[in-house]
Amino acid sequence: MKKPALIAFAILVVAVSLSAQQVGQQRPVRPSAVEAAAQAAAAERGRTAFKQNCAVCHADDATGGRGPDLIRSSLVRHDKGGDLIGPVITGGRAEKGMPPFPFSDSQVADLVAFLNAELTLFDLHTRFGPYPNDIPAERLATGSVEAGKAYFNGPGKCNTCHSPTGDLAGVAKKYTPPDLEVRFLYPSGKPSTAVVTDAAGKKFEGTVVLNDGFYVSINGNDGWYHSWPRSAVKLEVTDPLAAHAALLDKYTDADMHDVFTYLETLK
Amino acid sequence: MKKFAPLTFLLVLLAPLVSSAQTLDPGKMLKPPSDTWPTYNGDYTGRRFSPLAQINKTNVGALSLAWAFQAHANGLQSMPLEVNGILYIAGGNQGWAVDARTGRQIWHFARPGMATSGGNKGFAMWHDRLYLSTPDAGLLCLDAKDGKQLWQIQIADPALKAFGGVAPLVIRDHIIVGTSGDTADLPGFLESVDPMTGKIEWRWDAMPKRDDTVAWNSWPHDTDVATRGGGMTWITGTYDPQLNLLYWGTGNPHPVENSESRPGANLYTCAIVALNPDTGKLVWYFQSSPHDTHDWDTVMTPVLFDGTFKGKPRKMLAQANKNGLFFVLDRTNGKSLISEAFVPANWVKGYDDRGQPIPDPDKEPKPDGVLVTGGVGTNWQAPSYDPDTGLFYVNSRETMGVFYLTMPGKSAEGWAGRDFFLGSKSMLKAIDVQTGKTRWIADTQGRGGQSGILSTAGHLVFTADSSGNLVALDAATGKVLWHMYPGGSLGAGPMTYELDGRQYVVYPVDGVVYAFALPAPAPVSRSAAPRTSH
Repeated sequence: MKKPALIAFAILVVAVSLSAQQVGQQRPVRPSAVEAAAQAAAAERGRTAFKQNCAVCHADDATGGRGPDLIRSSLVRHDKGGDLIGPVITGGRAEKGMPPFPFSDSQVADLVAFLNAELTLFDLHTRFGPYPNDIPAERLATGSVEAGKAYFNGPGKCNTCHSPTGDLAGVAKKYTPPDLEVRFLYPSGKPSTAVVTDAAGKKFEGTVVLNDGFYVSINGNDGWYHSWPRSAVKLEVTDPLAAHAALLDKYTDADMHDVFTYLETLK
Repeated sequence: MKKFAPLTFLLVLLAPLVSSAQTLDPGKMLKPPSDTWPTYNGDYTGRRFSPLAQINKTNVGALSLAWAFQAHANGLQSMPLEVNGILYIAGGNQGWAVDARTGRQIWHFARPGMATSGGNKGFAMWHDRLYLSTPDAGLLCLDAKDGKQLWQIQIADPALKAFGGVAPLVIRDHIIVGTSGDTADLPGFLESVDPMTGKIEWRWDAMPKRDDTVAWNSWPHDTDVATRGGGMTWITGTYDPQLNLLYWGTGNPHPVENSESRPGANLYTCAIVALNPDTGKLVWYFQSSPHDTHDWDTVMTPVLFDGTFKGKPRKMLAQANKNGLFFVLDRTNGKSLISEAFVPANWVKGYDDRGQPIPDPDKEPKPDGVLVTGGVGTNWQAPSYDPDTGLFYVNSRETMGVFYLTMPGKSAEGWAGRDFFLGSKSMLKAIDVQTGKTRWIADTQGRGGQSGILSTAGHLVFTADSSGNLVALDAATGKVLWHMYPGGSLGAGPMTYELDGRQYVVYPVDGVVYAFALPAPAPVSRSAAPRTSH
């Protein structure tokens, strides 16, 4: 029997993605590129065989139809290298109307590889999958370019700080569609700046590290870190993203779609 | 009708078992926690209110470190139990018994070959036994004396992405345990387990049964969606021994964030259910998010208290929900007394005649995104109710989320949407249970983290702010009276107990358990007479 590298990979992906919940399983070994490529090829062969022989009952994506859903099957999920799936394929399940399929070991391995690829895909559809950079722009760009431009230069006052030919030139090329939308709605990563005046009247400027009501600390423009008890200093904080935070409460869904549709033209 | 019989009878029956001083007297669970913190919430009510007042609003400023216990584990979410001078602290696949006087380890249990860090909400204790729900969806029984495993059962299938972590609840001779997981579509349930043998006594399913027409008709049946999943039971419920009712919250329906695949209310997901703990039979339900499409779990603690409401004596149940709404119910029958938003919640169109919110279809996830407020208005970290102030304390968040439907259509599976939260404002709110209105807000500074809450008869509220400071506030006004930065974030919540006449407040923070107390009185100092052992 072949080493079930793709299964190991699938478990790895799932185990890593679920690490926040600490699934109590042994950590599998990541497959080599060669093994991964071999398993991808096996899964493709398995896909073809599955479509020809199994899909009529289990559906092309193995989620079931006339026959059981294999993605949510406990037996499939507990399979190790075909040890559970293999006998069902080759022996059939007469009591449930499934005939035996006289496949060779390598054909069974291909089908197992396909099912595990589908499991991985299914599990990545989930919350714990990667950032969904695959949302296409046309799905999000349902607004009007003109209305978006009007909002940008009108009620949004975006043109106070931004320009389509300046800082935003080519912005739609720079970010994936959902990234672009989330970033214009609420950009992150720009820290607030502060001017701190100490008891002696000396002024310090820099970016805010902590301002929790008890202490204030900054990375000073002088290159040094500084901190004070909050009550000991005068503090003026400027949030460069304050306009975005204020707008967030004002956007309608239509505004959001219009502005995105407009920004998506800035390529 | 059994009104008083089961409890009294069993207490009498179990009396001989309570011979050794180290075992848990079940009567402790019926009283507000003082010398013992025997359950996840300290007692059955879920109020997390302690009558201890040695630490109070006049002296809390002097609170200082009594000891710290290094668990060498990441991200403890466990609510410690304290029984007869011993703390029991749970981790993902492990647990510790720690001397509640000294912070010294008594024993450490770890499952061989299993990941050792991680979130577990806490042990349950029955006489001399401890119960732990595990990351691979099992339930373990340990001997409280030495941490040795007595038995292990499987609650759900981890290969189908079920996991465990809820602190079980002991009701007489039942260990009530729930389950977690919504990666794949997975049905939620509660089970009652025999504490001696691990035998399953009953199972209540969140998915509808054919003979329950109310629930059955709240799902479509032209697909198998009503059998697939939802209604996870991942936070400990509460119990009223007089009514003999168990209250538990259920999670969201599956597929998550997809509306079209499951028209209807989708009972019993996103609901508070009242069950008979002897049979698992449903007595009433209140659905806090009918036809949820935003992952608004309803697992937050259903908090029980008695009092007058609009001039009438009432047995009440209050919950601050993940969906941004605060509910007060009559817990004898589930009838609504208050339904009121505690943060802006634009997904609510109104309320039905049961006081349940009516979701706005315009705010369901859409392929091109929709802006939603109210989301994760609070999370699983426990709130607290103080009977002295009549205030319900909750760590709240005002959020704006954008929700994308990524798998439209009737055949969606698993997670069918994505949500992004675009900045949030964290605030500790004190809600008046007579009106549902916020009495005061303590700005907990910054964004993100939320913590559990403890209130005490010392007129204090203990919690943590989202900058990671442990804080004690004036229960009546929200004024900060004590604060301390422990170098990590509070995963669960604070608890308290009294030992040798000294009140301790315990905070698990990442991998360290801190115990705070007022400066040591003379008998505990090194020069005084030897301490009595526990």
